[in-house]
Amino acid sequence: MLDRFKVPEEDKVYVPVEKITKVTENILKSSGVSEEGAKNSTAVLIGNDLRGVETHGVSNGLRLYVEKYASGQYNSNPDIKILRESATTATIDGDNGLGAEIGPMAMEMAIEKAEKYGMGCVVVSNTGHLAGCGYYPLQAVERDMIGQAMTSGGAGLTVPTWGSEPILGTNPVAWAAPADEMPPFLFDIATTQIASNKIGLALRTGAKILPGWITDKDGEPILQEVDAPQRTGRHGESNYHLLPFGGTRENGSHKGFGLGMVVEIMTNELSGMGPAPVLHHEGSDMFAAYSIDAFTDVKKFKKDMDQLLKKIVNSKPASDYERVVYAGLMENEEYTKRSQEGIPYHKEVIDWFENYCNEIGIDCELR
Amino acid sequence: MLERFKVPEEDKIYVQSEKVFELTKNILKNIGVSDEGANNSASVLIGNDLRGVESHGVSNGLRQYLKRYKDGIYNSNPNIKTLRETPTTAKLDGDNAIGTEIGPIAMNLAIEKAQKYGMGSVSVVNTGHLAGCGHYVLQAAEHDMIGHCYTGSPAGQTLPTWGSEPILGTNPVAWGAPANEMPSFLFDVATSQVAGNKIELTRRTGSKLLPSWIADKSGDPIMEEVETPNKGDYHLLPFGGTRENGSHKGFGLGMVAEIMSNILSGAGPGLFNDHQGSDYFVAYSIDAFTDVGKFKLDMDLLLQKIIDSKPAKGFERVVYAGFLENEEFVKRTDKGIPYHKEVIEWFENYCEEVGLDCNLK
Repeated sequence: MLDRFKVPEEDKVYVPVEKITKVTENILKSSGVSEEGAKNSTAVLIGNDLRGVETHGVSNGLRLYVEKYASGQYNSNPDIKILRESATTATIDGDNGLGAEIGPMAMEMAIEKAEKYGMGCVVVSNTGHLAGCGYYPLQAVERDMIGQAMTSGGAGLTVPTWGSEPILGTNPVAWAAPADEMPPFLFDIATTQIASNKIGLALRTGAKILPGWITDKDGEPILQEVDAPQRTGRHGESNYHLLPFGGTRENGSHKGFGLGMVVEIMTNELSGMGPAPVLHHEGSDMFAAYSIDAFTDVKKFKKDMDQLLKKIVNSKPASDYERVVYAGLMENEEYTKRSQEGIPYHKEVIDWFENYCNEIGIDCELR
Repeated sequence: MLERFKVPEEDKIYVQSEKVFELTKNILKNIGVSDEGANNSASVLIGNDLRGVESHGVSNGLRQYLKRYKDGIYNSNPNIKTLRETPTTAKLDGDNAIGTEIGPIAMNLAIEKAQKYGMGSVSVVNTGHLAGCGHYVLQAAEHDMIGHCYTGSPAGQTLPTWGSEPILGTNPVAWGAPANEMPSFLFDVATSQVAGNKIELTRRTGSKLLPSWIADKSGDPIMEEVETPNKGDYHLLPFGGTRENGSHKGFGLGMVAEIMSNILSGAGPGLFNDHQGSDYFVAYSIDAFTDVGKFKLDMDLLLQKIIDSKPAKGFERVVYAGFLENEEFVKRTDKGIPYHKEVIEWFENYCEEVGLDCNLK
């Protein structure tokens, strides 16, 4: 994450992992979520916070989720059904459960299919926020597999290359692969120039939005640095739109838009929900696992990964840079550091936790 | 493709696709490739030319391939073997066949597995140039499947974000998905800012390279428009260009392609192993997930919405990946493929040299 999105030093409150885990689980359970469901969602959110992906941790997410449980938009007690199944695939109806609750189960199912048949792929329709894609492929990595996840939550945010009307969501996608001694490769990105949640973070940290990251409401790219805008709606009702990654056609925004389309197709069309940009639903998710053993020797794969990843980390940086990294390395460094020192939350987030716990009458031991 | 890569009007010679297909096939057979092998390769190359992807058609490719057959780098009579297999996966040894010969076979195998088990994927080691990924994913789309393909192209060309030493190749990746009335979605890109073959096209078309497309030898992005430097005097940048503009996304996707092609196949990272890159083909049966008829109608809804949406100022229309390629396919099937006159001269000279008929005009 760029420095501009990080919590300013003077606003940080460090919280040990066990404490934030316990309070988050209790908050979800008090919203009516089952023990297992609360454990799943919390593992995803705190996992993201530990890797430094605080855009998809408890800071932005939790307050929205409890609101959506309260208003009935999310189902705290979902009846999850398998709609179609083959040796390697399944299509699941999530019954409006939170994505972060169902995601770990769906990835587990893909992994089990891959253990038997070489590959597995599970799509989930009728589900809420997934909290990013990074957590799920790491489940596959722990079982010596390559993992992949995609989600199409919230269409009507992003303009196509050459377009002025917002069509797709931020449509993130992630892949992860294990290594031997090196931290796993974990590539987890939005297919837009900037994730929506990062604009949320920028509103809190006061960071500016860089040129070429967003457009005005007519689809014109904003080419100067501006304050983060407060979103007024989606589809036709938004005051600004996101650009696909690349930004402009000359700089390859058709690649960002195309990858965003892949995510839309592999989630909404493949799950049978139909196109979110047309039907305005909340999107669906896709999880895949590839057994390494089905293709090659697992040990050799991991050693080969080490060789490649070490080469990158040991290679000479360009002028003005301190080092070269690969996707997943800095997340792993952050994970190690935060597991030890605690997770640095913005004081506003801690205030929210304390106020909310007070309101619903549960313990809130974070400090 | 951007205008700058296209053949200038005054240099164009239109050739009917059947003629250039037959000739390409004959040239390959003449060098010892089997009838089926020559058919596969010619289908891939002319398919690319028909879709307007001339960076990966006969113009750049064929003369290089012939040289490699002659030098013994490519095997014109490969003995293709299955090294490992499960119900849904296979690993093939290409015995140094050109990628365009073995690619269609590998994707067919993935499709057959997906028909039985829902998904299929095949990796291929010891193989030559694949000529892009687009052709193969369309094979799956024709079978009502989603196709997906990666290739680890020759390593040591593309810099990592923040790096000064080239590590990956241009590592292309593609997905294809069928629709009902609309042309198929076909997303086929290099994970570098610009494909290596497009840089070669600019030498012929004389167009310049845009800012942040390439880096100098010390790894600094070149931030002004430049003439194409000599081979070996530049490095490629991952797509995005600079970190501020998201080049970590291009580098990350390039890494995915490296892992799914070279490392998953057991060939090992391109940079440390003496191979020309491995390939990976995936097919997803749509029927295993949902109703095929509904899927295609949903695709139509989505694709039509994009085409009908209002363009930004200064642009005439909005398109999706595969739409322009399909328009070009229809046009070129009818009017012929516009080749650079230099390419036609090459065909004529080569045919004369080896004693083949060269009926192109």
